[in-house]
Amino acid sequence: MTLAFDVPASRPSIIARLDPRWKLSALLLYVLALVLLRSPGPALAGLLGALVLVAAGRLPWAWYLRRLGVALVMFTLFLLWLPLVVEDHHTTIQIGFVTLSLEGLARLGVLTAKLGAMLSLALLLLATAPLQDTFKAAHCLHVPGLLIQLVMLTYRYVFLIVEELSRIRTALRVRGFRAKTDAHTYRTIGQVAGTLLVRSHERAERVEQAMRSRGFDGEFRSLHEFRTQPADVLAFSLIVGYAALVLAWDLWTR
Amino acid sequence: MIDASGLSFTYPDGKRALEAIPLRIMPGEAVGLVGPNGAGKTTLFLCLAGVLTAQAERLQVAGLDPRVASQRKQLPGRVGIVFQNSDDQLFSATVGDDVAFGPLNLGLSRDDVRQRMSEALGQVGLKGFEERVPFHLSGGEKRRAALAGVLAMKPEVLLLDEPSMFLDPRGRRELIHLLQALAITKIIASHDLDLILDVCQRVLVLDQGRLVAEGLTRTLLADTSLMTTHGLEVPYRLAGS
Repeated sequence: MTLAFDVPASRPSIIARLDPRWKLSALLLYVLALVLLRSPGPALAGLLGALVLVAAGRLPWAWYLRRLGVALVMFTLFLLWLPLVVEDHHTTIQIGFVTLSLEGLARLGVLTAKLGAMLSLALLLLATAPLQDTFKAAHCLHVPGLLIQLVMLTYRYVFLIVEELSRIRTALRVRGFRAKTDAHTYRTIGQVAGTLLVRSHERAERVEQAMRSRGFDGEFRSLHEFRTQPADVLAFSLIVGYAALVLAWDLWTR
Repeated sequence: MIDASGLSFTYPDGKRALEAIPLRIMPGEAVGLVGPNGAGKTTLFLCLAGVLTAQAERLQVAGLDPRVASQRKQLPGRVGIVFQNSDDQLFSATVGDDVAFGPLNLGLSRDDVRQRMSEALGQVGLKGFEERVPFHLSGGEKRRAALAGVLAMKPEVLLLDEPSMFLDPRGRRELIHLLQALAITKIIASHDLDLILDVCQRVLVLDQGRLVAEGLTRTLLADTSLMTTHGLEVPYRLAGS
């Protein structure tokens, strides 16, 4: 069975071989630098750096472009109005009857480049290490164990909830239900949502009993042992160093 | 091994789930627990495992009193419970992580945990499944992985709630062989009376929270009047005997 959330099996690469703690720290700092960028040149440089990392991570291009494309289109739809906002000091261009602001276009470009870079880094993190290793790395970086535990349990059970929803939908269809824009449909959707909520709550109680019966005391513990290699420190330095340079360039151009 | 007298439990909503149950199970015994839906089988297991706090005149499980908080904390290392639905029990990202969960909570060293993980997976025939995702396992594999997670804690008492549920005939047969080979005290709650016949020497009949009968498996399960009175059926193998 394949899942919509499935990530491709991690292919051997220099990024995949990195210690997850160093990788997570480096990418988080890179993302922080991206967030602070405002100028087009540095934003494009940030995107370029992310693409280089994606290439180094040997992500399957079809998978990467499909996911990036969907996410970028979704976000960009909310930003398409930016070039249409024309202020007095803006330089404008006329395309037919539409007046576009060059500053707005630049702003759209910067935001899209930054988003593309951040999404690329997120996909890189997902595809170059098992998710549970990334969670354990986060715990080593002092993210609270309770939060890690909650995220891991959510990841584990979200697929079951989706499966349950699928079964409920099948049950609705075989009893003749077809979604329309009417009160019956809205009532049915509400009842389905309520049923899922109740079943999830009951499952959560049973999972809690199972965890307590195996000695769970609230502490997150992992068998995984991480070992730092010189390559981890080098990769961290290169990634963070590049991010710092790009940020410095952006600050200098303001 | 398990010694209880007057064991009772009432849920917060007032439902009396267990009523003055006496229980005596010797080390190494395999005992079946049968009864209709809602009889209190699962509740009894949760009380013995210390997950629910029961009231009792006397209650000792593997040398510990589940009603006492300090002793209840030690129960996970002595009493293992395999739940009806394996998905409720496989809550980690991988099978290996899940099997290691219990031993890690016991405070064992990483080497000891790895060894126990390897042994437990070997016992249930899932060697090599460490990196597998629980969601992708078949029903039988999930059941075995859940059992491995409990066996890794090396319990003295094993409580199994409907272990053959969701299993196909092959998975069921493999489970029976596995349970027959496990030389620890077992209580098996099940509607699968043929499994009870194959694995258990003695059986307890629970109905509406009360212990209504106990005795040798073949004798009790062949009692047509007893079985039908308490919502059960004589197994086909014993029909006419």
